[in-house]
Amino acid sequence: MIATLIAILSLIVLGIPITLAVDRRARGPLLLGASFFYGSGAMFLVLLALSVLHIRWTLISVTVCALAVFCAASLLARRRTTGNRQRAAGAHVFDLATLLTLTGYGLDATLVSLGAWDFWAIWGLKGKVFLEMGGIDWRFLESRWNVFFHPDYPVLVPLNFDLIALVNGGWSDRWLGLLFVAWAAALLLVVRALAARETTPFFASLLTFSLASLAVSPWVGYAEGPLIAFGGAGILFVRAALRDDDAASWRHGALMLGFAANCKNEGLALLVAVTIGVAVAGSRGLGGLFFRRKTSRPRNLATARLWPAYALAAPWLLLRLMHTLPTDIASGSTLSRLMARLPYLHQVLALLGAQLTEPWFWIAILAGILVAPSAARRGELFVFLVTAIQLFFYVAAYVVTPNDLHWHVLTSWSRLTSHIAVPITFAVFLMLAKSLRGSQDAPHAEARPDE
Amino acid sequence: MTLRRALIVIALAAIVAMCIDPRLLLMPFVDRAPYARALEGYPDRQWPLYPRFLEGVHAHTRPGDTIALIVPAMRWDNGYLYAYYRACYFLAGREVLPLVDPQNNKLQQNFRNARYVAVFGVTLRTPADVVWKGEGGRLLRLRR
Repeated sequence: MIATLIAILSLIVLGIPITLAVDRRARGPLLLGASFFYGSGAMFLVLLALSVLHIRWTLISVTVCALAVFCAASLLARRRTTGNRQRAAGAHVFDLATLLTLTGYGLDATLVSLGAWDFWAIWGLKGKVFLEMGGIDWRFLESRWNVFFHPDYPVLVPLNFDLIALVNGGWSDRWLGLLFVAWAAALLLVVRALAARETTPFFASLLTFSLASLAVSPWVGYAEGPLIAFGGAGILFVRAALRDDDAASWRHGALMLGFAANCKNEGLALLVAVTIGVAVAGSRGLGGLFFRRKTSRPRNLATARLWPAYALAAPWLLLRLMHTLPTDIASGSTLSRLMARLPYLHQVLALLGAQLTEPWFWIAILAGILVAPSAARRGELFVFLVTAIQLFFYVAAYVVTPNDLHWHVLTSWSRLTSHIAVPITFAVFLMLAKSLRGSQDAPHAEARPDE
Repeated sequence: MTLRRALIVIALAAIVAMCIDPRLLLMPFVDRAPYARALEGYPDRQWPLYPRFLEGVHAHTRPGDTIALIVPAMRWDNGYLYAYYRACYFLAGREVLPLVDPQNNKLQQNFRNARYVAVFGVTLRTPADVVWKGEGGRLLRLRR
C-alpha cells in the first residue's frame, strides 16, 4: 500500500508544475485534481517514450525522465504569468459527504486484490507483461493468440500500473485499486472547482456529492475509471472554455481529452464527439449563449483549440498502425454486418433500453432537461450534443460488432453508459440550479476566473 | 412557487436521489470481512488450486520459456479461454501457447513448439520428464 501511495503522491508532485504551466491561476481543488491528472498522463508519456527509445524501464530511468519533465514544466510555469489566481472554492458540509463516498469507494476498491476478468485478461495482463519486458512487449501484442485482450487498446492504464510496480519493486495487484480512487478524486476536485465558478457553495458541493457515485467506477482494474475521469474532466473544461472563452480551460480540456483517448478506444470516439460538439455549438447562431464575452478569435476556430488532444492521441495511433494491431470491431466485413443488422435496429435499441442500468437515473436526467427553460437548455447544447454523439457511436459499434450482439450488450452496455453520466449530470444539475435561482449565472457565484 | 419551479425542484431532488449510492456511504461502517471472503476466490471459484499451480509453474520456468497448457476444459468458451488468459497473467514473461483456438480447432503445432507442457487437473500420457508436480497439476518437459 505504501508503494502505491508514494506513486500517487509522486504523480501529483510531477503534475503540479504541468498544471501551473497550463493554467497559472490554478489553485485549491483545481490545482490538486488537475495535478494528479497531468502526473498520470505525463508518466504514461514518459514510459511510452522510453519504450519507443528501447530504454529499459527502471526506477532510475523513469525518475530521471520524470525529473526532466518536472524541470521543463517548472520553467514554463514560471514564464506563464498572465492572469490572477482564482479564489479557492469555499467548503460546505456536503463536501464531507463526498469525502465519505470516496472513503467508502476506497475501502471497496481495496478490499481484496484486483480479480475482475478484464483486469487480469486485459489491463493488468498488459501491465504485468510490459513490466517483465521493461517496456511495451510488441511481440506479445502482435501475437495472433492474444486478440481477446484488445491489443489495439491504448496503454495509459497498464503503464500507470507499471509505475506502481516499479516503485514497489515488483508486480502486486493488491493495492492497485487506490489508483482508481485517485482518478475519481481528481475528477471530483475538478468538478467542485468548475461548479463553484457558476453557482453557490451549496449547489456546487451538492452537485459534487451527487456526482461522487458516478465518478467512482465499480469496475476497478478496468480502464473505465480513468476514462470517466479524464473524459469527464475534458468535457467539463471544454464546456467552461466555450462558456467563458477561457484559454486555460481550452488547454485543460484538450489535454484531458487527449489522455482520455489514451485510456480506451472509446476515449478516441469521445474526442471526435467533442470536436463535432464544439464545431456545432461553437458556430454562429447556436452558440450565442456560450460566448457571454466578446471573443478574441473567430468562433469557427474553436475546434482548432483541441489540437493538443489530437497531438496526444497521435503517438499510440501511429504505433498501433506500425505494428498492425487489429481492432476487433473492424475485423471481417463491417459493411455486411451493418447491412444485416440495420433492418433490426429497433430491436437493438429495444435491447439497449431493456438492459439500461439505473433507468430511473436516466429518466430523472431526461425529466430535468424537459422541465428546464428552453434558454437554459440551449446553454447546455454542447454537453447534450457530445452525449448524443457518443451514444450514437456506441449504438453504431453494437450494430457492426463481430461478436454475438446479446453477449456484447450484456457485457459492456452498463460500462459504456457510465462514461457519459458525469458530464450530462453536471450540465443538467447546473441548468436546473441556475433556473431555480432565476438567472443564468448565480450572482453569488464564487471563484470566477479573474480576467 | 410556479409550476415550473416546483417541477425543477422535483427534478433536482430526483437527480440527487438517483445519484447517491448508499452502499458507498455505509461502507466505512459495516463489517467488510464476509464481503472480502466472498470476493477473494471468486475469479478462480471453478478451479481454486489453479492460481497456486500457475505460481508453481512460474517458479520452475524462466523468462522466455514456451509453455503449452492442458486443462480439464479444452473448449475455448467452456473454460479454456479462462485457463489460457489466467495462465498468461500468472506466467507473464513466459510465452503461453494455447492448444485450442476460439473456434475450438486443435493447435498441434503449439504442442510441438512448446518447451514445457503445464497439465492441470488431468493426466497426460506422453513421453515427458516431470519438472515439478503439485497443486493439482504437473509441469512436463517433452522428450524430443
